[in-house]
Amino acid sequence: MNKIAKLFVTFISAITLALVSFTSSFAKVEGEYIVLGSAISLTGKYSSNGVHTQNGYNMAVDRINKMGGVEVQGKKYKFEIIYYDDESNPKRAAQLAERLIKQDGVHYMLGPYSSGLTKAIAPVTEKYKIPMVEANGASRSLFTKGYKYLFAVLSPANQYLEVAIDLAVEKNGGKGVKIAQAFEQDAFSQDVRLGILDAAKRTGSEIIIDDKLPKELNDMAATLAKVKAVKPDVLVVSGHTKGALTAIRQISEMKVDVPMLAMTHCDAAKLSKQHGKKSEFALCASQWHKNLSYKDKFFGSGKKYAKDFQKEFGYDPPYQSAESSAALLVFKDAFERANSFDRDAVRDALVDTEMQTFYGNIKFGPGGQNVAKPMILFQVRCKGDDCENRVVAPTKWASDKFYHPIPKWSERS
Amino acid sequence: MEKVKQKDLILYSGLIILGLAAPYLFSAFKVQLTYLCVLIVLAMTWNLQGGEMGYNTFGNILFYGLGMYLTASVQVGMFFPLAEWTESGGEKTFVHTTAQYFQGIGVGLLVAAIIPTIIAGAIGYAILGLRGHYFAICTLGLGIAAGEIAGGIEIIGAGQGFTTPPFPAEIVDAEARGKFFYFLSFALLIGTFIFVKYIYGSRFRLILNAIRDNEDKAEAMGIQTMKYKIVGWMCSAFFCGLAGGIMGGLIGYIDSTDVAFDGREMGVFMVLMAILGGKGTLWGPVIGATLFHFFKEGLWTLILGWQYVALGVLIVVIVVYFPEGLMGWLREKYPERFGEVIDEKDRKAQVELK
Repeated sequence: MNKIAKLFVTFISAITLALVSFTSSFAKVEGEYIVLGSAISLTGKYSSNGVHTQNGYNMAVDRINKMGGVEVQGKKYKFEIIYYDDESNPKRAAQLAERLIKQDGVHYMLGPYSSGLTKAIAPVTEKYKIPMVEANGASRSLFTKGYKYLFAVLSPANQYLEVAIDLAVEKNGGKGVKIAQAFEQDAFSQDVRLGILDAAKRTGSEIIIDDKLPKELNDMAATLAKVKAVKPDVLVVSGHTKGALTAIRQISEMKVDVPMLAMTHCDAAKLSKQHGKKSEFALCASQWHKNLSYKDKFFGSGKKYAKDFQKEFGYDPPYQSAESSAALLVFKDAFERANSFDRDAVRDALVDTEMQTFYGNIKFGPGGQNVAKPMILFQVRCKGDDCENRVVAPTKWASDKFYHPIPKWSERS
Repeated sequence: MEKVKQKDLILYSGLIILGLAAPYLFSAFKVQLTYLCVLIVLAMTWNLQGGEMGYNTFGNILFYGLGMYLTASVQVGMFFPLAEWTESGGEKTFVHTTAQYFQGIGVGLLVAAIIPTIIAGAIGYAILGLRGHYFAICTLGLGIAAGEIAGGIEIIGAGQGFTTPPFPAEIVDAEARGKFFYFLSFALLIGTFIFVKYIYGSRFRLILNAIRDNEDKAEAMGIQTMKYKIVGWMCSAFFCGLAGGIMGGLIGYIDSTDVAFDGREMGVFMVLMAILGGKGTLWGPVIGATLFHFFKEGLWTLILGWQYVALGVLIVVIVVYFPEGLMGWLREKYPERFGEVIDEKDRKAQVELK
């Protein structure tokens, strides 16, 4: 027993030493750097969108730093971000937020990817009074909790596909439509579902299929078989990137004919590239599209942003990247207006944000959501084998007419 | 005998003092230390089945998740309408007063201990007749099924998840929450350790070992194995439920498959930690959990994106080089230190044989 006891003492002292030497020396502002922290999904089910988010952040950091950085009290500062991988797991995300704040001394946070993870991190940032500008948590319930340090540059999730139902009703001569819907079991998609329920009630539409899909979505054949049988007017699917990919794959395989298909995350899934003509006519909700006419002095226009992004990362930016870049513009603006690194001063400056970025107008409502920017809908359209996302609603930015109904598979080449 | 006890006393009091001082010494690490306590509890209770009884269960995550949902539901439901709290999308927020918060979590934890214990009894009665792989696979299904079911129950937030009550705002000290959960989990750890240590000195452990070594013989000797298997599992469920309840409050957000019934992470980790340290030993799971947690916290962020590969390598290394875990390996290397009497001649003879 004696020896074991000694072993333990050694073991414990080793741990103690390790812990003490571990305590890091980061601070909120270090030298000429303003240190921001973010837990991002680099692995796990949200990894592709996590990377879009990270690319968006990095792109904006580079650009802002290159263009002179952030000026506070007459001194120029640069942004720097500490990243951790939250493995697409809310438990891990909450733990990492704590770690960023307590161990790395981060005083300003950028959001993670997805509503679920933002929901896990928000209580932590709130507790330590750390301002967090997030770009990828759209769930409505984030904005009803009375969080004071949470700011979202995006529109809430329930607004994503409401417009699509309105469109369908309009095409149906103002009469209610039959809706089939399938949503992933997660905070975001369930919120999109609530938006549809509201829209259905408002327009007198009927929901004839209302399925829940598992996370790690790979198969929705059961739902599609039902759709084939009952022939709804609209099929609504939401399940992040995997949901969009699975839906198109199986709809084309099973040759499901439905007059209108509305989805989310088409651009993050690069649908028009991955599935080409099979994805044609899919209607997608988006926070942003490069053809919109918003402007700012860092990225110029949406088109220019898309071009620069393409050059740097080799793919067209999905809105997840654009909104993430916008989050940093918001932070820069708030720091400069606060002219201080005091967290509460920065927070108060964030409350008063009212600006235009290439991504859209940004102004925060009382719950922290962006109230100045509408959602848009685009439709995948193809010329030959070349497919593209074209904005069809709202009419102010529409470059193309909404194509309805979707031709039957037997008539599609 | 007396002397050994004194040594033990020094060791234990040292550890307790360290545990009590830890949140002040390493203030920034309180959350990780809380996780560590919970991980050790999970590993120790898994060891009761997997190590002592020889029943590899993946089902303990069920009790952990249940405890989490129960604590949060009771904490909210005692004072406010639960359905309005979790109503999907609407999620009204009611504010707990300080007293309500602590009463709620107290009663919640009580429920989180009792109900999983009862459920373990009921499920155990149904499935502990299965042995070996059949039992393992069956319990694997339990956790997954529970996750999917919980994801469909509206009153606990379904797929939206369940935001647990925030720590009372009246307590201004930002450190208070961390300390509260740390000491709660540390108390749970001590309780679990005392209980498991008690079991290690009891006839109960011998019966569990008998079941592991040869269940039929044990039965032939007149031991009602089923009864003991069920009681053993109920003991684990009791502590797992409490651990889950604490974690739910600490994390602040419960998701059905990723946080509560998180078989893919917590469910696997508890097995891994027990095996790493050495299953079937008192200290094995403690050491295993500690090493694992340090490995995870220290190295994972250094190898962003590769951490699961590293975890895979770790598992292979453990299985190949330390099949009996660290404690087993030490025991083989230094049997004298574990109080085993070695016949020198015998040992030499073995060496010569090689």
